Amino acid sequence: MLRASSLTTQTEVDLNAVNGDLSAAAIGLEYGPELVEFAEAVASGDKDKLNQSRQTLLDHAGAETLVDSAGVAANFQRMVRIADSMGIPVDDMETELGKSVRSELNLTRFASAANTLNA
Amino acid sequence: MTFFDYNDSPYPIREDIKKEHRDFWQRLAQAGSWWTAAERIAIAQESRNASSCEFCEERKAALSPYTLEGNHHSSTPLSATAIDAVHRIVADQTRITQAWVESLPDNDLSIESYVELAGIVVCVFSIDEFHRSLGFELELLPDPTAGEPSRYRPAQAESGTGFVPMLPKEGLTGPEENLWPGGRSANVLRALSLVPAALRDWLALCSAQYLSVEGMANMVKQDDRSINRMQMELIAARVSAINECFY
Repeated sequence: MLRASSLTTQTEVDLNAVNGDLSAAAIGLEYGPELVEFAEAVASGDKDKLNQSRQTLLDHAGAETLVDSAGVAANFQRMVRIADSMGIPVDDMETELGKSVRSELNLTRFASAANTLNA
Repeated sequence: MTFFDYNDSPYPIREDIKKEHRDFWQRLAQAGSWWTAAERIAIAQESRNASSCEFCEERKAALSPYTLEGNHHSSTPLSATAIDAVHRIVADQTRITQAWVESLPDNDLSIESYVELAGIVVCVFSIDEFHRSLGFELELLPDPTAGEPSRYRPAQAESGTGFVPMLPKEGLTGPEENLWPGGRSANVLRALSLVPAALRDWLALCSAQYLSVEGMANMVKQDDRSINRMQMELIAARVSAINECFY
């Protein structure tokens, strides 16, 4: 969806940001590095990192951005667990956009890829 | 008692977030499709216990999550199978397998009960994660109300996708006729559809914490959000990557 949104807005982004590359996150995305670090802290459950990244995001982007970012991170903490606990496969493995993103990010390294590749 | 008033929050919390968190808590306190209200709240409590469960940590570090034996950090009268299911969904969801899910009925947890349990866990977990991410205390769990589970199972549920029966993408009728937002479905929508109320719960929360399904068509920026769609998707993708989610 990041690629789809960047194509819609004709904004250059570097998908390596998804794998935690902070310099990549700075390309085309306002507060990209701060958002990546906050997302990582939420998903990893690291309290110290979370306290630090929350304050950094607040200082740079403001309270409304912090709250909306917390909502999105919380939402996807839910979505990944729905997908994996129910074992759902990717709906369409044949779209060119999906193929290129999966290849670029090497997503088949994840164990849950089996829910799609072995379906 | 008013839940989720966020009066002590140093940050402005949007009204739709307050409302959807509050509404979910109200539904949590009622009997569901396969669990009583007290059991639903016990499931919610176990989802919190899983975050500080030493056995979960030990098992997550193990080569296989199916060989290690031990006791979860638990404080509820739920069955051992149900407690284990809650803890796996919170702490080690990427290694849940079809074989394990299919073994649940032999251990007195029906597939329908598993789907509702998962629906409760993921909604409570996401609300708790919202609080943790902002440095807030977790909300007190509600008191259960009386009532019996409806034991409602949609007649059109079918096997063949994922680990559990789901409703088909097309041709829904009866009470589920309008279940797919905008009439369009995807596997992530179908995932919990064996318990339609569980799907409705996550859709409602999703509309406030992220976007409504209809709102997802807007790839630029929703007016009432402070971050644009690319920023949202960057967060979503990074969270999903750390969770090693292929979907």
